[in-house]
Amino acid sequence: MNRVYDILLFAFLSFIFIIVQSTFFSPKNLGVFYPDLNLILVVFLGLFSEARGSAIIALVNGFMMDVLSGNVIGLYSLSRLSLYLLLRGLSTHIYARSRLTQAVALFLSTLFSWGFIWIGLKIRTDFRISFGDIMAQGLVNTLTGIPLFWIIHKLYAKVQG
Amino acid sequence: MSFLRRHPILISIVLFFFATQFISFRLEGKRERDTFSGFILTLTYYPQKLIFVLTGAIVGVWHNYIELIGIREENEGLRNEIRKLRQEKFQLWEAELQNERLKKLLGLKEDTLYDVVSANVIAGSPSILRSQVVIIDKGSKDGISEGMPVATYEGIVGRILLTGGKSSEVILITDEISAVDAYIHRTRARGIVKGTGDGCVMEYIEKKADVSVGDKVISSGRDGFFPEEVVIGTVVETEASGGFIRARVSPDMDLNSLEEVVVILKSPEKTVLNE
Repeated sequence: MNRVYDILLFAFLSFIFIIVQSTFFSPKNLGVFYPDLNLILVVFLGLFSEARGSAIIALVNGFMMDVLSGNVIGLYSLSRLSLYLLLRGLSTHIYARSRLTQAVALFLSTLFSWGFIWIGLKIRTDFRISFGDIMAQGLVNTLTGIPLFWIIHKLYAKVQG
Repeated sequence: MSFLRRHPILISIVLFFFATQFISFRLEGKRERDTFSGFILTLTYYPQKLIFVLTGAIVGVWHNYIELIGIREENEGLRNEIRKLRQEKFQLWEAELQNERLKKLLGLKEDTLYDVVSANVIAGSPSILRSQVVIIDKGSKDGISEGMPVATYEGIVGRILLTGGKSSEVILITDEISAVDAYIHRTRARGIVKGTGDGCVMEYIEKKADVSVGDKVISSGRDGFFPEEVVIGTVVETEASGGFIRARVSPDMDLNSLEEVVVILKSPEKTVLNE
């Protein structure tokens, strides 16, 4: 039964994060210094979640990003799914409870996610994304992600308990 | 699952390859009305609208009440009178501003040959990859469809990219994939106004054409999306670009703080492409 609650919790958080990101933390208002809450959630899923439907949450999370940002459908969906699978695979080889590991994971995940999107788009279009913007986003995600991880951990523990 | 754990990088590479092929396919194909995307827009409409209404109410309370608490501390005797006066003044000011906006919107309604639908901007894009996208609280149930132009009383804002039942996505003219066929109002010199991410440029203006800083740029209506003679912005800089003139155009409205817009119910004359 707890597994069902796990998935419901992450689905709910994914939905809430996308709403918050499109209203209060929209890059339209904050520029590059906006926290990508949904990316942070995917990193959490990849590092900590034992729930079986987590990959679907990551995929749907990316799909909602694609729809609400007017991007090509599949761009965020596949990058988020890919990031989740990569982290899932690496999670057994690292000590994810360490704050330092989490910070590095958040920063590198931002770079990976942008790299995935950037290379994918560069093949057919001349989309311009500056490296400085990506680094700034990585920093903001790291700073926001650490306390957010703590909050999600608390919620996750409550649901599991 | 154990295979995933053993070969995460391989899985990522395969997914990346699949993604690039998929994206190429999507870029080549025409944008079709996507029911599932429309569903996501409708699903997110209610919380976005709720946040829009709540933040509006909170800002109202902040202005009408919390600011006045400070005044009470400064002068207890005069506080009640000042509060009443300020409340009245603020309400009148708000009413005046709203009245002015509505009058202008109404004026636009009367001026245009097409029917229009007024809408509020309730959210923005969650991604910086395409940040020049906003979400409005009117959708296909209000007669809106993909490709319809969106404006304010100050000029063109953008066009509808995707519609849900109750909300729609608007791609602004400042987005890099946006393009509007336009004229310089004073000299009728023609060009294409393209978005640059943070503004617009008018390109492909003939070198012999007369273009100066301060000239108004208006839509020609030849692109099949936008009606003719609607203001796009003002020329703020010109430069030679190959065999053409390139003019930087500043939209007359602040696209970062859009609140109310109107959707012109004019269906595009050509099929809308997403990319």
